[in-house]
Amino acid sequence: MKFKAFLTENGVNLLERRFLPAFDKMGKTCYLFLTKDHLFFLHNLLNGDGVQCIAQFRIDVLFDDYRISSQNDDRIAFSLDVSLLYRAVKSSVSICTEFSGGLASNRLQIKLVKKLPLNCTQPMPFLTFETKGYKSAVIQDVPISKPLSRSQVVELQTALDSAQDLPPTLVQVQDPNQLQNFVDRMKHVGDVLNVTISKHGDLQVQTSTTLIRLGSEFQRLSVVGEKSQAPAEDRNLSAQTRSERAIARGDAQSVQVSVKHFLKSLQCHLTKPDSAFYGIAPQGACLTVIFQFLVPGTRQTDKSITLHCRLPVLDTGSN
Amino acid sequence: MNSSPAMEPDAPDLVCQLDNVQGMVDALTCVRWKRHQDALVELSEHGIVLIVEESGCLQAKVYLQRELFTKYEYGAEGRPRFGISLGLLVDCLNTFSSPGHSNTIEIKYPGPDMELLLKYDETITHPLCSRSLADDGCGFIRSVDTLNSCIYSEIRTRIPETSEWDYNFEQAGAAPLTFTVKSAALKEAIDDLEWPGSSVQISLQKSPPCVTFRGEGHGDLQIDFMYYANTDLLLAFHCDTEVSYGYKYKFLKATTANIPGNVARENRGSKLTIGRGGMLKVQHLVSVAKALAPQVESAGYQPPSRIAYIEFFVKPEETA
Repeated sequence: MKFKAFLTENGVNLLERRFLPAFDKMGKTCYLFLTKDHLFFLHNLLNGDGVQCIAQFRIDVLFDDYRISSQNDDRIAFSLDVSLLYRAVKSSVSICTEFSGGLASNRLQIKLVKKLPLNCTQPMPFLTFETKGYKSAVIQDVPISKPLSRSQVVELQTALDSAQDLPPTLVQVQDPNQLQNFVDRMKHVGDVLNVTISKHGDLQVQTSTTLIRLGSEFQRLSVVGEKSQAPAEDRNLSAQTRSERAIARGDAQSVQVSVKHFLKSLQCHLTKPDSAFYGIAPQGACLTVIFQFLVPGTRQTDKSITLHCRLPVLDTGSN
Repeated sequence: MNSSPAMEPDAPDLVCQLDNVQGMVDALTCVRWKRHQDALVELSEHGIVLIVEESGCLQAKVYLQRELFTKYEYGAEGRPRFGISLGLLVDCLNTFSSPGHSNTIEIKYPGPDMELLLKYDETITHPLCSRSLADDGCGFIRSVDTLNSCIYSEIRTRIPETSEWDYNFEQAGAAPLTFTVKSAALKEAIDDLEWPGSSVQISLQKSPPCVTFRGEGHGDLQIDFMYYANTDLLLAFHCDTEVSYGYKYKFLKATTANIPGNVARENRGSKLTIGRGGMLKVQHLVSVAKALAPQVESAGYQPPSRIAYIEFFVKPEETA
């Protein structure tokens, strides 16, 4: 199995300034899944518990001169500690800047190697970052797990495929700060969040204990997918009543997620998306958040980068 | 019976609106010395009073007069009282406070199940521009999208205990024993007195006029506020009999631990009075107004209606 590529300047910026800071908050370890066309960062995909985070990059966004080969349809997957990867990229960037003296000719090479570390009898796999300067080279080794076997890769691919299902209705939240500010302060009040999403474009987040009910509702958000009009007679009702009636009509769904998981998924805003879409998977299987990136200067979705999170549901709120 | 059209049998006891939630959070946080505290709330046509108490030795009151509210519709007969969790109320109010936003919240009591109801509604006009080809070859269509958002809460209340919480503060003698000290200086002094790890003795001396805070534990620390030496720190002083009483450190600490930052910024003073038997009364003023532009504020002056009054009562230690 072989992997070697050069990180482009754009690639380094994307990773160092936007994506790795977010992945660092999502979880300690993640899988890196490399194929002929894409690179995936996958958090919690195979274990049931935490927030699943799936990031997909088309190879040309991050790399130049990308070479990959393996006996597994040229797919390679391994897990690593995200903070170590982040640190390596950050320091490689500062080294590159030092060496370059204004020239973009210094390139950051990344490759898969097996090395014998100190005090070890067995060679171990690493993801190596190499910067070749005029007189010296700087090499940083990020330890990684043993690359996944064929059957493990199949398992990973299957999990990845099933995580790509889109919920039938998605509502668009353009200003994440308000939502983040609210949920951040709400965590002192309750641990469990009831999320209700309606086809009318309403998103409601609420926490409820024996002593208090506290919630926030965002109305008339843009809807992607199945939509419907809110009945006029519901307009002046309270938020809770409106959502109960929408659920009874089949126009809305409600699920319960952990506040901690929700706040974690909000950390994806460190990647600076243009907006976020929230939806509930069929049968209330999970809460999906899809982050949209636009091609800079346009209103078109940049399909070369995708990022979404799936939050486990604690208990189905209602049908 | 004299009743206006608004006082129907099922009209709420109180509907009020507040335009600065953070101010109310600051005022209530002043009396929050533990994570979980049960508070007693009393409503009247003059305003809202919230009382918390601990082990018969420490009591605090927050007075929020009706002038602090942009709207205050009182419809009860008598003075309704209820118990509520202070921590829950403060944490909940805090979710309504959004930096950079001007939030007017509505507070109503009682709800259908005697809850305290809070509500905030916001409508944002979101302009959308798109280019269009008009007669002159170039133009813009402007449409307006309204996005509504709201925050709502219902907090359960309890029937309060019937026992009276009146600490019966009485004047010590013919004239009050009182002094006013810079709030920031008082807080700092009390923070410093943590070090000896003992109870604190507060003494008032007639001549020279001076207030002394003293702790004797695994070290001695004495802090003197001299009246004539520094009129910046000790703003007023009145004492015609010398007194000295001891107070448990943790109760004294509770009186200043959570004073909000704006009290120091606005250079406020706290008034301390020693009553009969050594009962200590500590009074603070907390601004509940929105922060004005620096050039508009003048030397910390706030119109009286934008100030919440905080009062603490601390019982002295039993002398052996």
